[in-house]
Amino acid sequence: MPISRRILAVAAVCAVLPLSGCGSGDDGGSSDASGRIEGDITFQTWNLRANFKDYFDGLIADFEKKYPGTEVKWIDQPAEGYADKISADAAGGTLPDVVNVSPDLVAPLAKAGLALDLDKAAGQYKKEYLDGAWASHRIPGMTGTYAFPWYLNTGPLFYNKSLFEEAGLDPDQPPKTYDELFTDALELAKKSDGKVATLANVPTVEDFGRYGVPLMNPEGTAFAFNDAKGVELLTKYKELYDAKALDPQALTATPESSGKKFLTGAVAMNPGSALDLGNFKKQAPNLYKNIGITDQITSTGHVNMYVMGVMVNAQTKKKAASVAFAHYVTDAEHQMSFAKKVAIFPSTAGSLDDPYFTKEDGTDETRVRIAAAKSLKNAVNYTPVLFSEQMKTALRNEVAKALQGKESPEEALDNAVKACDTLLRQQG
Amino acid sequence: MSSSTVSRVRRQWPLSPWLFAAPGLLIIGAFILYPFVSTLVNAFTDKRTLIPGEFVGLANFRELLHDDMFWIGLRNSTLYVLGVVPALVLLPLLLALLVQKNIPGITFFRSAFYTPVVASIVVVGLIWVWLLDERGLINSLLETVGIGRIGFLSDQWLLLLSAMAVTVWKGLGYYMIIYLAALANVPRELHEAAAVDGAGAVRRFVTVTVPAVRSTMALVGALSSVAAFKVFSEVYLMAGPSGGPAGEDTTLVMLVQRTGTGLTGRVGYASAISIVVFVVTVALMLLVLRADRRAET
Repeated sequence: MPISRRILAVAAVCAVLPLSGCGSGDDGGSSDASGRIEGDITFQTWNLRANFKDYFDGLIADFEKKYPGTEVKWIDQPAEGYADKISADAAGGTLPDVVNVSPDLVAPLAKAGLALDLDKAAGQYKKEYLDGAWASHRIPGMTGTYAFPWYLNTGPLFYNKSLFEEAGLDPDQPPKTYDELFTDALELAKKSDGKVATLANVPTVEDFGRYGVPLMNPEGTAFAFNDAKGVELLTKYKELYDAKALDPQALTATPESSGKKFLTGAVAMNPGSALDLGNFKKQAPNLYKNIGITDQITSTGHVNMYVMGVMVNAQTKKKAASVAFAHYVTDAEHQMSFAKKVAIFPSTAGSLDDPYFTKEDGTDETRVRIAAAKSLKNAVNYTPVLFSEQMKTALRNEVAKALQGKESPEEALDNAVKACDTLLRQQG
Repeated sequence: MSSSTVSRVRRQWPLSPWLFAAPGLLIIGAFILYPFVSTLVNAFTDKRTLIPGEFVGLANFRELLHDDMFWIGLRNSTLYVLGVVPALVLLPLLLALLVQKNIPGITFFRSAFYTPVVASIVVVGLIWVWLLDERGLINSLLETVGIGRIGFLSDQWLLLLSAMAVTVWKGLGYYMIIYLAALANVPRELHEAAAVDGAGAVRRFVTVTVPAVRSTMALVGALSSVAAFKVFSEVYLMAGPSGGPAGEDTTLVMLVQRTGTGLTGRVGYASAISIVVFVVTVALMLLVLRADRRAET
């Protein structure tokens, strides 16, 4: 039956084609964002609808009013699996026109030609942002900048004053450097007979950065955190682990689980943000009464900052509208209004000098905000943009082997660097 | 409809059988055949999430042989089968024997034992993490009775055993229902005859019950061994995304997820691991079913 076979073949092809993940086949590739700002675009955020629906509805309405003929469809994705959602969209050719990203998400998208080079398409806006923030979406080995910087964040370190006091430590003199941290942590563990750990997480790549370890070579082509300073940091952490100054479950901990340990008083220090104060007040009033707030531990004098960005899909058919909207979301006025709704910090030049970030009003929230804004002026984004999830796991596993004594710190870091370099080469 | 009418319809509508089958074929094609063939093809390429990749022959499989994490995953998945399957074949049968009797209130117990089956694995996992935590309920009880705290979630082997215990706990009710159906078909006369001959409860279980439900045991063995080899959720929830301390509790499916997802995922390499999982699970099924056939003859 030739007809039925032909029809079946067509049906089969129709069924399979949508799954083949072809690109959208439009005018991608050009960085020209000139032209009339009009048309329908999609904008994807990262878990922001639940708390900021009104803010974004207003923002979008104002943009559409400013540029008649535009229509922005807002999509919000949950925090969990965000990278997987983007990768599925990118592979399937359904990446939204404007996407909320972090630098490590931008890197593979830029390499695949899916992120618009804003140095070319929107270079005129560069001067509106802090130099460091604009540079945060540059990719080693590539020229160009691939996302508008959006909000910055950095967190203070919270500590439990009563636990410090019980261990005979001065609750008003929390550790500031890694050396002070190690001394205090060992003292706390000794005085509590190993029942109170100071930290609940193994060192991450940011810890190595804050300790002063070079993370990559200057060209950005290989990792370098296995130098003597890196080994020194890991050796110190091993001492903490052996003395139970590092929680025994730190090897499998997540930020959520270590946060819970801090809430229950099992751990004396935990990184967080100004948002956490509200949680402490609600969930652990006794802890809240004893809460101490200090700067991130750093031996370099530069705290770690996290950068969020807004990327424009290089394949979008509405480049002018997409670039205009991405800039609109991240410009000084809108970043400032967003910062007043939530504990984030604008990446636009001069915004951190606003009285909102400099003037005390006596509350803890303001104190945290002012301290964070101050530290952001010389903060560093220690996470290398090419440091993928697989690399994080490789480092974490090798660190765990060193802490358990299965490998020496030197061996562990050599292996971690080797694994990360292999993954880096495989990224292409 | 007479046979002549049927043949006339067939002549007029040669596509009609295919049209009836089309919805099913489309679903099978799109969600089973296409992903399977795609995985098979990808296993021989260096495809990454955003990069199509090129044919690399057996390179991914050769790399597997030198990948420590693959061997850790294979070891843990195999241990999972060895630890979980005997318990899931035997314990639900004993449970089914207990709840088989029609005594007042037995429905409550049947429902109670089945409850973990319908509970979400995420909820179950979280509850057990709370229970087994260093400062959780079980450790507090152990400390109270003077045993001291045990690192259920910080020791590599205890963590794997804990995950196995959760899998068994969650699966008991499901297999119990299957056994209840099988036990209902065991002739009562056989038990009565054995009892008349002086067989006690244990002997009746060995000589009457087990042979009567042997095929069901083989089915449970096959189903549970495939599920155990493909275990993901329990270990992921209890050991964390890194797969326990130093990744030592990683299973093969966790490795597939970790390697092949995200923007920098190595889809080709993860597909090669998936093919290994597929081959082993098919082999496990065949092994169990062949053992059952051999026992029958």
